Amino acid sequence: MNDMNVAKFIDDRPDAGVFRVSRALFSDPELFALEMSHVFEGGWVFLGMSSQAENPHDFFTTTVGRVPVLVTRDKEGTLRAFVNSCPHKGARIASQPSGNAGLFVCPYHSWSFASSGECKAVKWESAGSYGAGFKQDDHNLKEIGRFGEYRGFLFGSIAADVAPLEEYLGEARHMLDLAADQSDEGLELVPGRVRFTFAANWKMQLENCSDQYHFTSTHPSLIKVLERRAREKSEAVVESSLSGADFWKGMKTDDIVAGSYSFENGHVVTWGKMEANPSLALFERRDALVEKFGPERAAWMFNMRNLTLFPNVQIAVNAATQLRVIRPLAPNLTEMETWCLVPRNESAEARRQRIRQYEDFFNPTGMAIADDNAVYEECQAGMADRQNAWLQGHARGLAATAQGGDALSQAIGMNPQRSISGTSQLADETLFQSYYREWTRRMGEVLA
Amino acid sequence: MTALSQPEAQHLLFREARLLDDQAFTAWLDMYTEDALFWMPAWREDNTLTEDPDRELSLIYYRGKENLRDRVTRLTSGLSPVSKILPRVVHLVGNVMLEEASEAQATVRSSFVAHAYAPRTDRVTSHFGHYEHGFAQVDGRWLISRKIILLANDLIPTVLDVNAI
Repeated sequence: MNDMNVAKFIDDRPDAGVFRVSRALFSDPELFALEMSHVFEGGWVFLGMSSQAENPHDFFTTTVGRVPVLVTRDKEGTLRAFVNSCPHKGARIASQPSGNAGLFVCPYHSWSFASSGECKAVKWESAGSYGAGFKQDDHNLKEIGRFGEYRGFLFGSIAADVAPLEEYLGEARHMLDLAADQSDEGLELVPGRVRFTFAANWKMQLENCSDQYHFTSTHPSLIKVLERRAREKSEAVVESSLSGADFWKGMKTDDIVAGSYSFENGHVVTWGKMEANPSLALFERRDALVEKFGPERAAWMFNMRNLTLFPNVQIAVNAATQLRVIRPLAPNLTEMETWCLVPRNESAEARRQRIRQYEDFFNPTGMAIADDNAVYEECQAGMADRQNAWLQGHARGLAATAQGGDALSQAIGMNPQRSISGTSQLADETLFQSYYREWTRRMGEVLA
Repeated sequence: MTALSQPEAQHLLFREARLLDDQAFTAWLDMYTEDALFWMPAWREDNTLTEDPDRELSLIYYRGKENLRDRVTRLTSGLSPVSKILPRVVHLVGNVMLEEASEAQATVRSSFVAHAYAPRTDRVTSHFGHYEHGFAQVDGRWLISRKIILLANDLIPTVLDVNAI
């Protein structure tokens, strides 16, 4: 591992106006193993929503890096996150995505655990002739290193030696607030699992969520359909939420319609101007939101905004609101679990509209995501080249990037590290740099 | 007008499958009524299928043939990176059971496997499950008024479009 020098993978020279990423970062198997231990298991990652374990004894399962994780709510209502593995032989003690269990019984030898993680019984313990060492062991489920909640969003870290959750989220928390503030009753996930895989590196997904440059190139087939729907306005077809905006069309105008913010710890958001209009499910709450939060904050709630909290969660607010969890499986294989994230107690009509927009756009069985998957795979093929290792995909916008925030971020009291805004053709790529700087920080222990 | 017979039901299902395999999408759309339901529910976490498409997520939910026309437009546009070279698809439909048959309408349940070979990636995928077809007799022709696809393997590798389910 002596040749694992970070300069081989990331060429970050701000003074020279250079930021480049190597193709090896997307395809090297040794690097991938280190990413699992240091990026995914070495710091904060998103686990799920508190609504996934709403009531006493509710639980859900997930995976952090390679580690199976169990999140439970005990009978008093306290949420905890455990390694989903029996201390005895290592078996997963919960194998369903979610459920309700006052007692978890290991399927292998029936060791049992309360929803608080406490070991309730080691089968036939008294007859087991155990030695002193076993008796001294703690048989409870092992809590992961750190666990925390911010407004219904649950995060955890396998490693305990990390900054507090508030510090990890930093100023990006304002973007979670814009989602959480949409309902006094909080957020929930629409029932219905949607999972898919693509044969490419997880960082393709990380980047694409905040890539405003690709839309008109990767999705012209969808745009063709949207244009026809706009012309024909059929009753049978749900109106696209994008029909009320121009930022994605790539028209050459001077208006500032889109931009991005970079935050500490690798979080970024891209935004596009969208006016509150009836094609958005949230429109029914506009007046109440303006009254409660003021016009500027309410306007932000209607903007397109694709948020990534490094390294594994994205909240895409454009056609409805999608929660995406990235799970890397191999250097060239990634699994995505995606959810329709909704404010509680919206009207039946708003919910219906939101779900229809969501399915059409965000499902792998819809009209957009499969094309993203395909282009990731095309990129992955090209990541094998080492003769021309440096990619040229992190450079747009460099000359327009400003330190700190701008008037729009100030309007909601948000202070990003860097900001950029401009026409729909600006399509900033410099925000990706934040991903790779945080990647470098988390990998710092193993990369020289 | 007579009620739908078992051989007729099988023929309609086989014909739909073959039109999809042959990429004869215009003829495929012609098999549907204008207000047809095309629905592939998602699975809940408790291993049951979603049942209320207005409150729960579906993998695909359309009411109205126009939506299927949109899907065909996109699929055959040549502008979709994943669909530029369409997969070669083979549907196998079996276990056909005629459940309800009058002169006006019929319900037919069946099982399917759709194999797909993607020339872009040289990958083979296979999706399988059950169909519920509703048929309506319109001007002497049996048309599909409802197609519900209960997809058993719902972890989607890269893509799954209307031509391969």
